[in-house]
Amino acid sequence: MSRPYYKSWIAPLLFVWALCLLTTQVGAADEPLAELEEQAIKAAVERVAPSVVRIETVGGLERVGELLVGTGPTTGLVVDSEGYIISSAFNFAQKPDSILVTLPSGKRQAAQLVSTDRSRLLVLLKVEADEPLTPAEAAPQSEVRVGQWAIAVGRTFEAERPNASVGIISAKDRIWSKSLQTDAKISPNNYGGPLVDIRGRVLGVLVPMSPQETEEVAGVEWYDSGIGFAVPLETVLRNLPRMKEGKDLHTGLLGVSFKASDLNAKVAEIAVAAPTGPAFKAGFRKGDRIVEVAGQAVERHAQLKHAMGPLYAGENVRVVALRGDERIDREVTLAEKIDPYVTPFLGILPMRPVGKAEDADAKGIAIRYVYPDSPAAKAGLQAGDRVQSIAGAKVTTAADLREQLQPLTPDESVALEALRGDQTLLVNATLATLPESVPGELPPAHDSAALAAADVAKPATGLVPIKLPEFENACQALVPDDFRADVPHGLVIWLHAPGGSKDEELVALWKPLCEKYDFILLAPKSADATRWQPTELGFVRRAADAVAKTYSIDPTRIAVHGHQAGATMAYLFGVTNIDLVRAVAAVDSPLPRLSQLPQPDPVNRQAFYTTLATKSEQSAAVEAGIERLRALKYPVVVQGVGEQARYLTAEELDGLMRWLDSLDRI
Amino acid sequence: MNLAAIQRLLALSLLAFAAVDVRAASVAEVIDTTQPKMVKIYGAGGFNRLEAYQSGFLISAEGHIATAWSYVLDTDYITVTLNDGRRFEAKLLGADPRLELAVLKIEATELPFFDLNAAATAESGTRVLAFSNLFGVATGDEPASVQHGVVAVKTQLDARRGVFETPYRGSVYVLDAMTNNPGAAGGALINQRGELVAMLGKELRSAQNNIWLNYALPIEELRGSVSQILEGKFRPTDEEPKLKPDEAIDLAALGLVLVPDVLERTPPYVDLVRGGSAAAMAGLRPDDLIVFVGENLVHSCQGFRDELAHIERNSTLKLVLMRGQELVEVEVPAAEGDRP
Repeated sequence: MSRPYYKSWIAPLLFVWALCLLTTQVGAADEPLAELEEQAIKAAVERVAPSVVRIETVGGLERVGELLVGTGPTTGLVVDSEGYIISSAFNFAQKPDSILVTLPSGKRQAAQLVSTDRSRLLVLLKVEADEPLTPAEAAPQSEVRVGQWAIAVGRTFEAERPNASVGIISAKDRIWSKSLQTDAKISPNNYGGPLVDIRGRVLGVLVPMSPQETEEVAGVEWYDSGIGFAVPLETVLRNLPRMKEGKDLHTGLLGVSFKASDLNAKVAEIAVAAPTGPAFKAGFRKGDRIVEVAGQAVERHAQLKHAMGPLYAGENVRVVALRGDERIDREVTLAEKIDPYVTPFLGILPMRPVGKAEDADAKGIAIRYVYPDSPAAKAGLQAGDRVQSIAGAKVTTAADLREQLQPLTPDESVALEALRGDQTLLVNATLATLPESVPGELPPAHDSAALAAADVAKPATGLVPIKLPEFENACQALVPDDFRADVPHGLVIWLHAPGGSKDEELVALWKPLCEKYDFILLAPKSADATRWQPTELGFVRRAADAVAKTYSIDPTRIAVHGHQAGATMAYLFGVTNIDLVRAVAAVDSPLPRLSQLPQPDPVNRQAFYTTLATKSEQSAAVEAGIERLRALKYPVVVQGVGEQARYLTAEELDGLMRWLDSLDRI
Repeated sequence: MNLAAIQRLLALSLLAFAAVDVRAASVAEVIDTTQPKMVKIYGAGGFNRLEAYQSGFLISAEGHIATAWSYVLDTDYITVTLNDGRRFEAKLLGADPRLELAVLKIEATELPFFDLNAAATAESGTRVLAFSNLFGVATGDEPASVQHGVVAVKTQLDARRGVFETPYRGSVYVLDAMTNNPGAAGGALINQRGELVAMLGKELRSAQNNIWLNYALPIEELRGSVSQILEGKFRPTDEEPKLKPDEAIDLAALGLVLVPDVLERTPPYVDLVRGGSAAAMAGLRPDDLIVFVGENLVHSCQGFRDELAHIERNSTLKLVLMRGQELVEVEVPAAEGDRP
């Protein structure tokens, strides 16, 4: 601790000291240190000033996402004498029609956008300058110490004079090892400009950034807040040749995901290796434990993000993983994007075991229902058949079967072994995609003999209050009277429309459905009956967890269903709780404008159900939401409700419940 | 910004951290001699999120106070609390709405004060301390809050039209500290030697990039009006500064037709140049993109019309056009506008 601290101060202090000795009009004896520092700061700004240019843009969008984008002048940094200028992508997020750069002589020159670095949010511009340009000098990253002076320089207020803000380096290797952090005031007034050291050498290029988000405008809300970021100029210069070729740079992806969303989770064990991703293609599989990336030891998930952060798509990286005792050491070419995962569909519903079903292994997975025209139907499978193995692997539970199918792609052919009575069937099925329609009447999911035999304790049923002392919201669960702990139930989280919901109506509508389909209804209420607040998502989650603690819940059939504003909440709840929610059923509300929708996750599958009224004000927005979900390859069931928006009829609601009952489809 | 601004009120931590004791000691001395010159001002407001307080500083031993001209002073009952906690009723001697400056007077003697004639100037990088009662956090004999930062740049607020909504048209110091908060207007900005540099301005947001601007008015801009007010000679001009000419240039007079203005920000492309018109004589062509009118960048058809509205009809119009990838400067001669 003491040594870096000492080092961090010694360089600037020495410099100030040197300044005292060198500058003739300054005598060390009669000038206080603070004034010498002030002079050093001014000298640093002056030194970098010739490389800092003013940029003006014409035309373009007024808004980028939710943010009103300004049209003021912005800043750029000259990086070589041929007229290449680097700037923050924020300044160009509105896609301007023209870019004008004011050269040191005061002459304005049109500039071309050469390429964009989407990982570090930079743009490279080129001007045909007929005057010499002064490229900025980079400060060596190895010398940068937390605590040293850092001066942010822009050229937005005056064309003739740069504007400066003074702070220190607050941290290194921020935003997954992509940037320096400073407490100098960073804002649109200096985005694109340099962060310089006390000698005027460039530490980095100022950009708004956020560790969670990746758009050009991410992190802008932190302007002038004592937290700002700069991409090291050394890195920029290293990537300059590629950018000069006009190639956009993208974050490099491995195409793997991990169980824990907790960044401190210990081992980076691959939960999913997307079959479309480079890691899978290089031979890495689910369950492999990544121990090294790009020469850096990886123990926790966050370390992996740091090792991966600086890498670009197209770059090769050495990845080492352990599979049991086997060490798998491969070179992986990182991808720019991973094609969305599409869940393969065999076309069956499994029977649900009662209790632990200890002898299930012997008999395999009993088929409850075969979807008409599905791969299973075409292969000749029938309800009552028992699936024994798939692609040569023995399967005993529905979860096994799902797991074996997971890495396969729709259209792939797979060999199945099944039992019909005593007869063994060997069939080949060509997989398909999940259906986007409500199934017809379904046969019972449980063996009636098994149900009759068991004698189990029953927890409280009927309308049960769910008490969460830390929240003021009321919440109830509707548990069917015939609920029993050895029959896991589905869970529907019902988010009411503005105006709340009445208990008697709720019970009258839902009790028969819950009994018929083995579901528990959870009905949290908004604190203010007239509206939901996004902050109440946490309460809904806690309520769902509380129900799952008391009652046995089937994790494959947990859905959130909402009407109007409740449906908006349902979407938000669904996409922010992918570990819990398997389906979102929205009535009369479009998909909210989320900046980022999660990619479909092979483990945490999600499906969507939405109503569509042809002549409602919302219909265009609803359709846009459907399109957005389908573009990501999520299955979406669209229930037409005629011209005007309304809630579901009894028949449609029964259909919705059938669909939810079929969520454990394979 | 406001909540965070309170947190940023850590005054001198960085300075004390950055430099050795020499600095801390000299800063402490400067602050000690400055605080007795600061006052807290209370007046009208207190509703609709309009604070009923602001800051000021003494400019004479007899109780003259410089502060910002604002609604707070728009009452017969202005009170001033000195650094030592003494309270006085204050009289409004005069105000210059153009500078957003007001001078108050309290009945007191032998007060410490800033001599406006001894005020200093600053430039980009000059380290400064800002004294104010931001958010009204200090009461009675609590001293004003001190913030530190540097002058980011000295600039003109009106350099780009429509960016800042303020009647002030002179130069300002832009600061890299979060100084311009509720209650801070009228506070003092001093340099490291304790010399008065500027008076803190009001809260102001740039219409151009939506960013709050922290700025202070240089004393040399205020000095003239202050002494006129003190001498009782100040005559506020009733008329608003003239912003637009009676008869301005318009597109028809130039013989210029722009592309249909369909978007919120339609780029000002030339659609048609009428034969024999001033625009034709200047060499404008269809598909030219107008980028500058004089020194002002125009972003849209509407922006171009707004610029024209500020230019006298019988004057020469300087335009910068983008033709392909080339920038072309043209001068459009004064047109005697025969309207179609």
